[in-house]
Amino acid sequence: MLDYVISKYNFWIYIILMMIGLYAMIGKKNLVKKLIGMNIFQSAIILFYVSTGVKAGATVPILSGHGHGHGHEVIEVAKYINPLPHVLMLTAIVVSIATTGVAIATLILIYRKYNTLEEDEILMIRKETGV
Amino acid sequence: MKVIALIAVIMTGTLLIYGAGDMPDWGDPNSPANSYVSPRYILEATEKTATPNIVTAVLADYRSYDTMGETVVVFTAALGCVLMLRKKRNGEGG
Repeated sequence: MLDYVISKYNFWIYIILMMIGLYAMIGKKNLVKKLIGMNIFQSAIILFYVSTGVKAGATVPILSGHGHGHGHEVIEVAKYINPLPHVLMLTAIVVSIATTGVAIATLILIYRKYNTLEEDEILMIRKETGV
Repeated sequence: MKVIALIAVIMTGTLLIYGAGDMPDWGDPNSPANSYVSPRYILEATEKTATPNIVTAVLADYRSYDTMGETVVVFTAALGCVLMLRKKRNGEGG
């Protein structure tokens, strides 16, 4: 049982991070806290994907000794970690930056209009003014 | 409300913990993610693209259209931020 927990310890960390992010998105009333929760959630997914590419004892996927005229050396696949999750998560990081930027811009607009970022206060103001 | 949120989060976490049982161990070089496609990239990328960094080779050579689409994503986000936050002229709502 302890072996099982230790051999998959990375997944427990990501599950805890995802639960924190999900709770912040659902349970918190402040819109900035919701946004931070979404970022924690994304970080958990990104860390999870990167960890699927790890091979024990391997190094970064940059081949050495090429391009210097050393000829063809045999590349050992087990010596380099999996590059594909890294590439896909680069794309995901770019998308998360874009969504965070647009979300913060929207929050600034909301604050300018309602002078608050609390969800229930905004809903109350909207109900009172009948918008 | 907070109780409902907590119950939903704990249920999701339980499902994830249940699902993690089928995942490979940490650092397993023979896990499914490391065994079917990625060895091909590690073996052939440098030869085909003349780039020693495999991440760069995949990002800018194999998936260059995807990277171009990424720039469109960033551009659209920047455009949205500018359109939302610009100074309004007199009389315009906002």
